[in-house]
Amino acid sequence: MSGPAASAVTDAPVQDQRAAVRTELRLSGKTKGQRLEQALSLFSPILLLVLWEIIVDVHLLDRRFFPAPSSIVDTFKDLLVSKELLIDVKDTLVRVLVGLVMGTVPGLLLGAAMGLSAPVRAFFKPMVAALFPIPKTAILPLIMLIFGLGEMSKYVSVAIGVVFLVLINTMAGVINIEQIYLDVGKNFGANRWQFFRTIAIPGAMPSIFTGFHISVNVCLLIIVTVEFVGAKTGIGYLIWKSWQTFSIETLYVGLVTTAFLGFLAQLGLDALRRVILPWKPEPR
Amino acid sequence: MEARAALTFVPEKIEIRNLSKVFPGRPRPVVAVDNVSLSVPAGQFVCVVGPSGCGKTTLLRIVAGLEEQTSGQLEVVHQDQSKRVNSMIFQEQSIFPWMSVRDNISYGLRMRGVEKKTYEAVVQRYIAKVGLTHFADAYPYQLSGGMKQRVSIARAFANDPEILLMDEPFAALDEQNKILLQEELLRIWDETRKTVLFITHSIDEALVLSDRVIVMTAHPGRVKADIAVSFPRPREVYKLKSQPEFGQLAYHVWELLREEVMRAKELEAATSAS
Repeated sequence: MSGPAASAVTDAPVQDQRAAVRTELRLSGKTKGQRLEQALSLFSPILLLVLWEIIVDVHLLDRRFFPAPSSIVDTFKDLLVSKELLIDVKDTLVRVLVGLVMGTVPGLLLGAAMGLSAPVRAFFKPMVAALFPIPKTAILPLIMLIFGLGEMSKYVSVAIGVVFLVLINTMAGVINIEQIYLDVGKNFGANRWQFFRTIAIPGAMPSIFTGFHISVNVCLLIIVTVEFVGAKTGIGYLIWKSWQTFSIETLYVGLVTTAFLGFLAQLGLDALRRVILPWKPEPR
Repeated sequence: MEARAALTFVPEKIEIRNLSKVFPGRPRPVVAVDNVSLSVPAGQFVCVVGPSGCGKTTLLRIVAGLEEQTSGQLEVVHQDQSKRVNSMIFQEQSIFPWMSVRDNISYGLRMRGVEKKTYEAVVQRYIAKVGLTHFADAYPYQLSGGMKQRVSIARAFANDPEILLMDEPFAALDEQNKILLQEELLRIWDETRKTVLFITHSIDEALVLSDRVIVMTAHPGRVKADIAVSFPRPREVYKLKSQPEFGQLAYHVWELLREEVMRAKELEAATSAS
C-alpha cells in the first residue's frame, strides 16, 4: 500500500501496453476449448459419410438417388484419370476469374466515383437502382443472344452479377467514411489524388471487401447456371450432362467439386482479407 | 539571436477581427460565433475556455480553414510556404485506423512530398517523444485511447506547422492519462515554442498549459475576458496546481465563467421550452 494513487499515474502507459499485448494474445492464441471445437468440426462430416455408406449398404437408402460415398470416390478417380474433371474445373475457374475482373474493376471505379461526387451519383443512381434488382439469371438468354455461345457470354454473365455488388458496396463505403477523416485530409493538405489513395479507398475497403466476398459466392452460382444451358465444358455442364444421362455418381462428383471450389474461394478470401485489411481484425 | 529579435518585435501570428459565423438553421439561423476579435503573437500558447456550445470549436475550425466565416477577417501569417501553416489535433479519434502508428505520424510530411529519408528520422523522433517506440508498427485498434491521442499529437508536431490548433484533445481521456499527456505536451511545446490555439472547457487545463486564457461568453460566442497567465516555465502540472497563485487565478476565471455557464443553462431551458 505504498501510495496507490501515485503509482497509478506512472503506471498508465504500462497499462496501455498491457492492454495491447492482451489483444494480441487473444488474436493469436487458441484455448483448449477452441481446439476441442476444431476436432469436433473435423469429426462430424466423417461421421456423416460413414453413416451414409452403412445405410446404403443395408439398402435403407435408394442407391439410384444416393450412391454410396465409396462409389462416388471411384467415379471421382475415373474422371480425374481421364482428365475430364480437370478440364471442367479449369474452364469454370477461368470463366469465374475473368468475369470477376471484368466486373470488379468497373464496379470499383464507378462506385468510387459515385461515392466521391454527388453529380456522378445523381446521374448513375437511377440506372443502378433499375438494373440491380433484375435476377441475373433472367438476363442469360439476352446475353447469349448478344454474345453468342462462346466464352464471352460466360464472362459477361459473371461480370454483370459482380459489377453491381462491387459498385454499391464501394459507393456506400466511400460515402460512409467518417467526416473527421475528411477533415484530417483537408487539414494536412492532401490533394485530390492523395485523398483518393490515402483516405477514400482504404476507408471504403472493408465495405469493398464485403461486396467482393458476396460477388465471389454469386459468381459460382451464376457460372454453374450458365454452364447448365450454354456450355460444352465446365462443372455446371458436368452436372447437367450427368442428369441427362442419369449418371448419378458423376452428378455427385460435380456437386462435391463445386462445394470444394466454394471452400477454396473462402480460404482465398480469408487470405486476401489479411493482406488488404490487416488493420481491421475479423470480428469473432 | 532569433529569440532576441522576437523580444523586440513580436509579429501577430493570428489576427481575427470582428469574426462571425452564422449557421443556417431551423426555425431560425444559429449564430455560433459573434463578432470575435483576437490577436495571437507568434510563439504564444493561448487557451480558449467557454461553456459548451459557445462556438469555440467553430472558431478553431475557421482558423484551421475547415469552415468559412460568415463575416469578419481572419489573417494568418504564413511564413514558410513549403510547410502547412497549421495542423489540428482533434477531440475525437482522428488517426486513420488503416495506417500504422508510423504511417499516421508521417502523414502530413508524406502529403507535402517530403522525401522518405528525411521524414523517417523526424517520425522516429516523435514516436520516441510520445513513448510509442514499441508500437511504431501497430495499428490503432491495438492501442488504448491515450495512445491514440499521443499519435494524434505526434502527427501534428511532426508535420512542423507554424500554428497548432487543438480542439479539446484530452477531453475523452481519464484523469491520469490526461495529466501525463499535458506534461508531454508542455515538454514538447517548450522545445518547439509554436503558436498554439487550444480549446478546452477545463480551467485547470487552460491555466496549466497556456500563456493567456480567453474566456468566451455563452451562446453566441463573444470574447468576455483576456487573462495573462505568467507562471514560469518549464511547468509541472501538479506542482503548479499546488501554488496559491494558481488557485486564485483559477477562482478568478471560474467567477467569470460561472456567469456564462448559468446563462447557457437558462438559454438551454428557454429553447427547449419554446
